[in-house]
Amino acid sequence: MSLKHIKVGLIGCFLLCFQLTWAQPSADSGKTLFKNYCATCHAKNMKTAGTGPALAGTQERWADYPREDLYGWIRNSQAMINAGHPRALELWSEWKPTVMTSWPNLTDDDIESILLYIDAVANAVPTASGPAGDVGPGGSSGGGGNYTWLYWILFAALGALALILMNYISGLNKLAAAKGNEVYVEKPLLRRIFSKPVVSLLILAAVIFGGYTTVTNAIHLGRQQGYEPDQPINFSHAIHAGENKIDCQYCHDGARRSKHAVIPATNTCMNCHSAIKNGRYFGTEELTKIYASVGYDPSKNSYIEDYDEMSQEDVKELYTKWITDQYLSDNEIDELDRKGTREVTRQIEGLISSLTNEQKKKIQGPIEWERIHNLPDHVYFNHAQHVVAGQVECQTCHGKVEEMEVVAQYAPLSMGWCINCHRETEVNFEGNEYYANYELYHEQLASGEKEKITVEDIGGLECQKCHY
Amino acid sequence: MSMKQEFGDIWVGEKDLNRDEDFIKSAQNEIQNPSLVESLGESEAVQDMGGNRRDFLKMLGFGVGAATVAAGCDIPVKRAIPYVIKPEEIVPGVATYYASTYVSGGESCPVLVKTREGRPIKVEGNDMSPITHGGTSARVQASVLSLYDTNRLKNPTIGGEAVSWDDLDSKVMSALSSARGIRVVSHTVISPTGRRAMADFAAKYGNVELVEYDAVSSAAILEANEKSFGDRVIPNYHFDKADLIVSFNADFLGTWISPVEYEHQYAKNRVVDDVHHAHLSKHVQIEAQMSMTGSNADNRILVKPSQQGEAIKYLYGKVTGASAGSSALDAGVKKSLDGLAAQLKSHTGKSLVVSASNITSEQLLINAINSAVGSYGSTISFNNASLQRQGDEKGLLKLVQEIKSGAVDAVIFNNCNPVFEYSFLSGLTEAIDGVKTSVALSYDINDTTSLCDAVAPTNHYLESWGDVEAKRGQVSVVQPTISQLFDTRQGELSLLTWAGAAPEGDQPYYEYLKSSWQSTFFGGQSKYLSFNSFWDQSLSDGVFSYGGGSSAGEFTFDGAAAIRSIGKAASSEIEISFTEPITIGNGTHANNPWLHEMPDPVTRCAWGNYLTVPVGFDGVKKFKGFNGLSDGDLAKVTIGGATYTLPVVQQFGQMPGTVSIALGYGRDKVGGAGKNIGVNVNGSIGMVDGRASYHAADVTVSKKVGKEQWYSSVQYHNTMGVTAENKKGEEINADEAALAEGYGNIFAGYQGSLVGRSIIRKTHVDNIEHAVEELIHEREHHQGLNAETLYPYDEYRKDKYEVGHHWGLHVDLNACTGCGACTIACMAENNIPVVGKKQVARHQEMAWLRIDRYYYGDVTNPNVVYQPMMCQHCDNAPCENVCPVNATNHSSEGLNQMTYNRCIGTRYCANNCPYKVRRFNWLDYTTADLFPANQVDVNEESVPFGADNLTRMVLNPDVTVRSRGVIEKCSFCVQKIQEGKLTAKVEGRQLRDGDIKSACQMACPTGALTFGDTNMKEGDFHDKLESPLNMIVLEEINVRSSVTYTMKVNNRDESLELS
Repeated sequence: MSLKHIKVGLIGCFLLCFQLTWAQPSADSGKTLFKNYCATCHAKNMKTAGTGPALAGTQERWADYPREDLYGWIRNSQAMINAGHPRALELWSEWKPTVMTSWPNLTDDDIESILLYIDAVANAVPTASGPAGDVGPGGSSGGGGNYTWLYWILFAALGALALILMNYISGLNKLAAAKGNEVYVEKPLLRRIFSKPVVSLLILAAVIFGGYTTVTNAIHLGRQQGYEPDQPINFSHAIHAGENKIDCQYCHDGARRSKHAVIPATNTCMNCHSAIKNGRYFGTEELTKIYASVGYDPSKNSYIEDYDEMSQEDVKELYTKWITDQYLSDNEIDELDRKGTREVTRQIEGLISSLTNEQKKKIQGPIEWERIHNLPDHVYFNHAQHVVAGQVECQTCHGKVEEMEVVAQYAPLSMGWCINCHRETEVNFEGNEYYANYELYHEQLASGEKEKITVEDIGGLECQKCHY
Repeated sequence: MSMKQEFGDIWVGEKDLNRDEDFIKSAQNEIQNPSLVESLGESEAVQDMGGNRRDFLKMLGFGVGAATVAAGCDIPVKRAIPYVIKPEEIVPGVATYYASTYVSGGESCPVLVKTREGRPIKVEGNDMSPITHGGTSARVQASVLSLYDTNRLKNPTIGGEAVSWDDLDSKVMSALSSARGIRVVSHTVISPTGRRAMADFAAKYGNVELVEYDAVSSAAILEANEKSFGDRVIPNYHFDKADLIVSFNADFLGTWISPVEYEHQYAKNRVVDDVHHAHLSKHVQIEAQMSMTGSNADNRILVKPSQQGEAIKYLYGKVTGASAGSSALDAGVKKSLDGLAAQLKSHTGKSLVVSASNITSEQLLINAINSAVGSYGSTISFNNASLQRQGDEKGLLKLVQEIKSGAVDAVIFNNCNPVFEYSFLSGLTEAIDGVKTSVALSYDINDTTSLCDAVAPTNHYLESWGDVEAKRGQVSVVQPTISQLFDTRQGELSLLTWAGAAPEGDQPYYEYLKSSWQSTFFGGQSKYLSFNSFWDQSLSDGVFSYGGGSSAGEFTFDGAAAIRSIGKAASSEIEISFTEPITIGNGTHANNPWLHEMPDPVTRCAWGNYLTVPVGFDGVKKFKGFNGLSDGDLAKVTIGGATYTLPVVQQFGQMPGTVSIALGYGRDKVGGAGKNIGVNVNGSIGMVDGRASYHAADVTVSKKVGKEQWYSSVQYHNTMGVTAENKKGEEINADEAALAEGYGNIFAGYQGSLVGRSIIRKTHVDNIEHAVEELIHEREHHQGLNAETLYPYDEYRKDKYEVGHHWGLHVDLNACTGCGACTIACMAENNIPVVGKKQVARHQEMAWLRIDRYYYGDVTNPNVVYQPMMCQHCDNAPCENVCPVNATNHSSEGLNQMTYNRCIGTRYCANNCPYKVRRFNWLDYTTADLFPANQVDVNEESVPFGADNLTRMVLNPDVTVRSRGVIEKCSFCVQKIQEGKLTAKVEGRQLRDGDIKSACQMACPTGALTFGDTNMKEGDFHDKLESPLNMIVLEEINVRSSVTYTMKVNNRDESLELS
């Protein structure tokens, strides 16, 4: 075996080692897989239900059945249900009609990785604060299933082996030279380590690694999944849509007829809040902001004439008085105590800072919300298309908004996410007269040649359906 | 020798006929690549563009640095700002349409205004209008941009200083109350309520008169009709009822009186519905220059401008048999007119003669001819007579006298610019400058406004209330679609305010208008019992019709007197005619960059006016412009005493011994877009009998004195398939080809020549059945070639394109008049940038829809065919499979999709497009880019048009604004397709024929374009696809285009030709 062969063998060993590292199921790769495949429907903390059930304890719940059944369930749940698997039927009865997306391309190792990740997250110590359904613990926390340390040991062992072999080779070289009566000059260790092939290999590895990270990170540039900004008003969807069960489209009335779902105008708020003047959690603090925006005098139950022309001092005075009066009557006192003064000042200052900014100096006028769902300019998205024609539930893309105190962006809003849904989603083909002229498809449905017509079949993956 | 047969086929221009080497070379290259230094190189920094390694490294460093900085930035916080109180009729994201009426002087067009989130972004024709039937013109389409003109007058001024309206009103009122005589100068007042307002104003001050005139005068017709019928009005012409249309220099399809209306009528008799019983009207145009109307005519009889009177007189004599005296006309012209007279006599009651002449005696003779051939009561009526021209510039002459004599010391100008339009009226400018009180009600700055003491800025029509009675009994409403953008006030309200007659309220003129309608039109109808329901319905429809006036009075005519007063023809060697451009009018629309960017339909030149010179043939092989001038040469023209230097365009069909220049250009008191564009020749317009006469004699034209630096003619841009190859398929020099084959065959038979390719097919109406047979045969041949393909196209078609929709467009070349409304509509709908004169000269115009103009037939007096050319959405698209990044690909609905965010700008697709319809964003026209150096100034504007927030309000929010470095092209208005499909889906019904109309289709006044679903088995579009005249452009190359054209059918009468 020549020197060259040994070198090649060594490099091969290293590469193999890397390969093994990636191929083994691990919580880290599970995290990536979970993000790509599961996170759209399953909550990231594994403990609350999303569109799909909470995943903590999955392995335990499937422990009575062969492992393959769990794999099968994840790859194609409908097939399992049709086959009458008891656990599958149990889940179906609980969750129907929600159908879990099929993932036939996931390998056993992939699924194991995801399961590892699920366990890692589920068993981790919960973080201190933060609303439910939001940030899960980072992937770096220790715990069962994390074998990183093992790879480091392996890496170190192989490195040591390489050094030993190098030493051995130089010994052999020395012997060979001695045999041929030549003087062998041994290169110092550092020179040998930083020899040309090693340096080239390192550079190559750095370029590949750099390129890979650049591309993966660049793909995520501009994406804001989980974006949860503070809004000028602490408006709670959990109270309005959750507890009070106000229909989404009562306020977001554009969703059924326009591309925009529409942030409701202040006068929509006034439909109810001309009567409900004290909030359950914040009292006058948040609701007064609406009045100050639209120019409603809650003490007189009337709109203020020429409100736009009113001076900032007068506006401030008017609503200070309202907050004070409410404070007094709530606490059944006649005069503001020190705490009361502080509270009123806090509320009125909050009001002013919520309703004004650098561009908008006046309290009067619209409430400037922070926009959460942002699509690039070259994307055309139409709510009416999805809500009315496609009969998609709001929650499919926005998550359980009715449980959110503060709204966060639920879906990644990436093109891959859109495309995937278009591939999976069945078109209400028989129910809408519009599709009558797709005669071939109707024939194919009737003959059983096609089981269903997806959005993809009617061109839902084509560029100019969304980009024009 | 006769050239008729020799050059019997189609050509685009002189360079094409001459097989000009540069032209052939440029036609072979899709991407014209003039050097950067030449094209941008005024600044020295740009001149030094020699790149070296250091520069490269600098750029690289900068690029990497910029990318790093950009990547490190946070995603900016975007705000979502809802309404405080949402208007009920507005749903953000959904367009709302309001009926209104475009009005500019005597021009008007009922429209539907598309607004988004309260901002007008597009105007469409109102198809309830009995006048325009939903048609529009380029000017109407472009009017929405002038709303967002950055050079608008934004507040009232006195002596150039900004003042408040109260100050202005009190100053003006005190000046007026002490004035001896007041005159209100205006273009034709077409609004009945506007007239009432002026009457109220006159009642307050006394000694007030309205001086009405028109930017281009038709006063002689009014006077002639007053003399003939006792009715000072333009009659109601019915071009649809005429089988023989004779027009003496009247550009009735382009600019004359009511072109949108006339185009609609005209096209009805030009479209072939049934090839076996084809019936076409015959249109004879008598003119010197090639007008757009002339280009559509079957026959043109070439007569010098000063001989129009002679020609009318001669025809009158021949038609009526009355003695018309001797004639100075050429024998050939006489012979043609003899033939014409005979045909007129045999078309009694079915012919129509019109003239643009502004000489009363000539118009009297036209009336006499019409009377003799029985036009009155059939093709001309006084029922619903036109009120679109009521002005007479004699009033301006009188005004000058009155100012000089001191009888008038206060003048109010109502949105007009006589100082520019009538600069040939001696003393006008001085008189206006010297008058004691001068007030301008004006939309933007102009030559007249700048002479006035007080300027009261007026609203755009999209910000105004009003009404229009374009024809007696046919009223339409002007309704605001946006509140005033600036501190302006509509002109009528200013007059009412000064009269102290303005009603109270937030919208005083609205109240005034309503009360005016209540007292007039409400009483004239019986359908509605309450005024409110009548008013609401009128606002919703936008139009309202009632009775509509009188029938013709008794015809009285003194033939001998009229003949006596026909002027003598000029004897000068060269004569010039001045024409109103179809785009900017007589300077009225000079600040609208869309209109500047639209090439003139006939000369195909943009951004300026050009001297059109006749093309001569040297008898051997070369064509050359008059005086050896060729396209883009600068020449000096001397008219009377004045000399102008302007670029030349060789114009086929221009009469030898005549030249022509368009009016309206060269305004210097104007905003950024129009500044120093073209040459102002208004000072040289002639006068006859105290009226404007739009031609002049005593003209000399120099030889070439220079070269126009930015010759923005698109004539030779995007030419399809002009290469010369020999029979072995080798590409050879065009001259060699000519020598080898003899010039007679240059144009026929070469692979790639215009003739050899199926780009245009045309036939004579008498020969139509034969031509259709030939066409069928040829198409079978093409399709046979196409059948030999490796790809199973038919299977694919069955599985993909025949499922669901497959979009297509039908273009009827017989209906297309070339007016260009579709071009501008496309620019407005699809956010197409304006690139300016320089970039047009560099072949970089961006219009998605161009109208190719081809000549055919007789070289000395050719016929013309217009071909709107846009992306053909080929099912076998050559552009698609060369894109390295798949940025352009095909949809299952047959659309050739262009995805801007995927495009990396290789331009392979453009290079491979046989129709040359792909456009590349060379520069950052819309400032979507971060780097100011990539932005481009179109003209002398302070901020590039695309960068100005005001101008950007016109953008269609449903269409992406393209950035630099990407290709774009016609998308078949995919945003409208998607919208139409969604509406049907939401309503749970099938899509119907006509649900989806492309922007070009909606703009077209003649119905030449029809968009639809080729899979739909019934409806208008389907019927049109069944026409045997249909052909596919370049069908032989098997790209399976989705756009179908018809064969052009003409009705040329050889007996009317010069022998």
